[in-house]
This record gives sequence, structure tokens and C-alpha cells, in this order.
Amino acid sequence: MAPVQVSNLRKSFGALDVIQNVSIDITDGEFLILVGPSGCGKSTLLRMIAGLEDISDGRISIGNRIVNALSPKDRNIAMVFQNYALYPQMTVAQNMGFSLEISGVKKAEIQKKVAEAAEVLGLTSLLQRKPSQLSGGQRQRVAMGRAIVRDPDVFLFDEPLSNLDAKLRVQMRGEIKALHQRLGSTIIYVTHDQIEAMTMADRIVVLRGGRVEQIGTPLELYDRPANMFVAGFLGSPSMNFLKGTIEGQSMRLPGGERLALPAVPSGHAGEVVIGIRPQNVIVNAEGGTAAVVKVIEPTGAETYVLAEIGGIEITCVVNDRVDFEPGQQIPISIASPNLHFFDAASERRLTDDTVSRAKLA
Amino acid sequence: MTVMTTHLETDTVEIKRRRDPFLILLWLVLVVFALLWVAPVVLIAFTALKSNAEIMATNAFTPPETVAWSNFSGAWERGNFATTFRNSAIITVIKVPLGLMFSAMAAYALARIKLRFSKLLLLFFLFGAMIPFQVMLAPIFTLVNGFGLIDTYPGVILPYLAFGVPYQVFILHGFFKAVPKELSEAALIDGASHLTVFRRIFLPISLPVLAALLILDFVSTWNEFAMALVLLQDRNMWTLPLGLMSFQGQFSTDYGQLNAAIAMTVFPAVVVYMIFQRYFVSGLTSGAVKG
Repeated sequence: MAPVQVSNLRKSFGALDVIQNVSIDITDGEFLILVGPSGCGKSTLLRMIAGLEDISDGRISIGNRIVNALSPKDRNIAMVFQNYALYPQMTVAQNMGFSLEISGVKKAEIQKKVAEAAEVLGLTSLLQRKPSQLSGGQRQRVAMGRAIVRDPDVFLFDEPLSNLDAKLRVQMRGEIKALHQRLGSTIIYVTHDQIEAMTMADRIVVLRGGRVEQIGTPLELYDRPANMFVAGFLGSPSMNFLKGTIEGQSMRLPGGERLALPAVPSGHAGEVVIGIRPQNVIVNAEGGTAAVVKVIEPTGAETYVLAEIGGIEITCVVNDRVDFEPGQQIPISIASPNLHFFDAASERRLTDDTVSRAKLA
Repeated sequence: MTVMTTHLETDTVEIKRRRDPFLILLWLVLVVFALLWVAPVVLIAFTALKSNAEIMATNAFTPPETVAWSNFSGAWERGNFATTFRNSAIITVIKVPLGLMFSAMAAYALARIKLRFSKLLLLFFLFGAMIPFQVMLAPIFTLVNGFGLIDTYPGVILPYLAFGVPYQVFILHGFFKAVPKELSEAALIDGASHLTVFRRIFLPISLPVLAALLILDFVSTWNEFAMALVLLQDRNMWTLPLGLMSFQGQFSTDYGQLNAAIAMTVFPAVVVYMIFQRYFVSGLTSGAVKG
């Protein structure tokens, strides 16, 4: 267990900067998730922390020890890979005990530690099997067991659940989180799945193009996204963005439609973008703006309604069952306290003190 | 048939499948080639077991009426097999494992260790595999002679190594490159050195390839003729193919003994193939490890 500090980290392949000036402080025992679209540099960043990629500039320290020049084996880290990377010719027990065996730990000791880890992960009955005889979820558990046995300072997870089916992913998500609570170790976890990030992380780092977009707890990022990218990336279905101009207490869309607003940004007369999560859109509201229903997607618990206002698509999540028909007109209101305002040009969030909240009618 | 099946509703209806004509063609080609390959083997086996009188009197493909085992003992004596067999065995047993070990280590380094000139080095190896060795016979003789190694085991083993390594490096490099990068990375994080990764991870998973290369290399080394002819002048240093040659010249009319000699020469290669072919085939299926 150890804190990890990443300061001013850079990595470039020739003229291409894949990691640009990234600084993250990870406290001891924290579960930190790096999230972003593919190609954003999250895996590269993790591999740099692991020592599998060279560092162009900047510093990485683990447990207050600068590890820039140390090889992976001297960093006391353990890593779980997306494709598990189990040694195919070894049994589960041998896979898990490999690192201890190399460092010269006695056989009895190895057996004890492997048995303990297997117990935690429910692998005891599989110890003599080869990886090819295991299912995907079991392989994933073995890969985690291999990491646990070493008792490392930091656990690194590189998209460990992306090769599993949806149901197993949910189950493993819970198991990893429980494991973290039990071991209390520092975990750095890479994923492209925002739900994994939201459900598991103590803090989330959103990356785009090798740059940090925002760092914060899951709910901080959800409630107060720093810019439109973060706002659109977290939450499912994605946030709706409506671009228009503020006129008094309402917004005028490019098509001329008006949307009544519960709050308006002050001192920002030009174009703004309103962000509203589909869950906050009020359907069938009195005095709402007319929208045309395009598609209805029932999920059982909720219904997703895809509607259009003046050519702009807007997704609404309704908790009740609805019997709309495509083409039908429904009144929609965004008069919700959970509105986000962004600058249309910079895509940044307009700070809350520039938004004067009016009383909801 | 189709009419019947439409009326029956049970699950046990047997639907006669039409054979794919392409498959039939493949089978035919296979049978023809198998016959072509088996014919000489049968010919040699039968002839080796017939007396000379019977060889002249009967068709080449009729089985021997009386088995003439004396062909084998006679061939062994006359062909000086005691010496040539020993020479071949010593050279092959040293060369083949040593060459495979060198190739595997070189291939690992080229595939998995970051080297500045690794591509150039690989190209260099490839170049070695591209030059026909006939071109090199004279220079090799001069070189080996210069070291005073003519008529010695190292004098043959060293050139054999030099000519065997390139294509093995090429094949093993391709195989090692295809091993998921994460596998060696996981081992490196687990605390393994490159030597450990090579020995504990790469060697075990490349057993099928190594077995295949071992078979190929054993057979080609065992049967090598041209280079041995140039480098081994002393009769007491001759390898089996050389012994077979002189045997053929001296007793070309004694077909029974000649074929017995051929059979004895081929036999060890067949045994090695039988032993390692098992790893080769089982490796092909179990080697398909996902992730």
C-alpha cells in the first residue's frame, strides 16, 4: 500500500504527444479510475506507471520513491491485463505462485499464500486446472489472484472486464470493489466504460487526447462536470446538449422554439449550451415546448423517448410506461434545477455564481 | 428422400447429405500422393529383405518369399557402418539441440528485447538463409582448413550450425512475435528476468514449434551430404550418407545390401520423427491458447 504521484508526465512518439503534462496525486488506499474514449492515453498512462513504457518527461513516484528509472519488477506493483495474460502451460496454482517462486520464497509459504488468495476469490477447487480449462470469469479471477498473492504496493488494472459478458461484468465489478474494501490497497484502474468508473471509483480521472479533463469523485463529476466532454461522457444515456441564445427567462433555439428556463446565466448574453440529463427532462409538462416523438425504447424499468425539437434530438427517460406513437407531439420541459450551462465556444462550464437561479414556476 | 423427410416429424430422420465434390477431389489427390510417397518405401523395404536371386526373378513390388536378414549384417560390415553411424550420431546429437538453443535465444532477443538494430539484425539472419550453400562450399572449405579443422567434428558442426540457425531464427521469431505481449509483460512485472521469461514462459509454449524444427533439423543434418563430402576427407570421419555413397559405388549390383544400408540409414530419422511427432501434433491443438 502506497501513495502514487504522477507529476507533469509526458510521453511522445516523435512529434505526437500521447500524454501531455498529466499530474495526478493518488492517496494511499485510493481506488482511482482512469476513463476516457479509446486512444485517449489512459492505457499508456497506466503502462508508464507500471514501467512498461518509457517516460519522455515528468516524474512518477510510488510510496514517495521516484520510480522513473526502475524496471517493472522493482516497483512492487501488480498488474491485471485485459486478456488476463495467464501462463498457458502452468496450472492456476503455479500461475498465482509464479512471482513468489521467482523471488525465492519457500514452497510451503507459496502454497499457503496461494491457498489464501484462492480462498478469497473462490478458486480453491480450480487450483490444479490449466487456464485453457477455465471460463472467462475464472481466468479473470486467476489474474487477480496472481496480483493479490504478491501483496504489492499498487494494483494496476488495464480494462480487466472488457472481455467478459455483460452479466459477469456486473458481478466482477462488485467483487473487485469488495476486494478493494477488504485489502485497502491502492488501485489504479483503466476502463472506457463510464458505468464501471461511476460505480467503483473513489475518484475518477477523465482523459481526452492525453490530457486530464477533470479529476473528482464520481458524483462531483456527474453533478458538476467541468466541460461538455466530461458531461457527455458520464451518465447513461448521455446528457442532452441544446445550443441557443438566452432571452429573458427562456432560451431560443436556432429553429425559433422557446424553452422556459428555471435559471439563466447572468452576464452571458451570447450563445450558450444547456446540458440536461435525460432523466431530468420533464415529459408531458404543462406549458412545455412541443416535441415530435421519433423512437420509443422500453427497457422495462424505464422508457427512453427520443424526441425532436426544431431538428434537435433530445433523449428523455420516463419512469412510467408511456404509449406514445412515433410522430406524435408531446410537450417537453427542461425546467429542472439540474441544468448545466456551458460556454458555446470554449465548451467549459459556466461557474454557478454566474447563473442566477430563478424560482421554479 | 426429401419427400419422405417432409412427411416424417421425428427427430431421428436421417438426411442423406450430398458429398461436397471438392472434398472428393481432395481425397483423390491425397490418395494419389500417398501412393507416390509410399511406393519407394515399400520398394526399399521389400528389396532389402530379398536375396539377390529373388530380386532378379520377381517383381519389385512382390513381397519377399524368404526373408534374407543377412543383407543387413552384410551391409553393416561392408559399409563400415560402425564408424559412419557413430560419426553421424555424434555430429547430429551435438548440432541439433545446440543449434535450436542458439536460434531460440536469438529469436527471443529479436522479438522481445528492445534493440536499436533488431530489424537490421533479423534481415542479416534472413540473408544468411537466402544464400544457397553450394555457393559457399569453397569458401567454407578454405575457412575450415585455415582453422585446421578438416576431418574433425567441430569442423563440420560449426558450419552446420551457421547454416541451420538462420531459418530457425526466422521461424521462431515469427512465433515469438505472435505470443501476446502481455504474457512477457506480466512475467516481467512478476519479477522475472528476460532469461526467466525465456526459459519458463517462451520455451514451454513454443514446444510444438521446437519439436517441428527438431524433426526437420534432425533429418536434414542426418542426411546432409555435400558439406560433409567437402569437409570430411578421412574415411574414418565419414558420416552415413558418405558411407552410403562409397557403398553404392563398390557394390552397385548387390541391390539387397544396398537397400538394407539405405533402410538402416533412414531408420533413426524415422524413430526421431515418431517420438517428436506426438508433441508436434498435440502441441498444434493445445497451443491454440486464447489470451
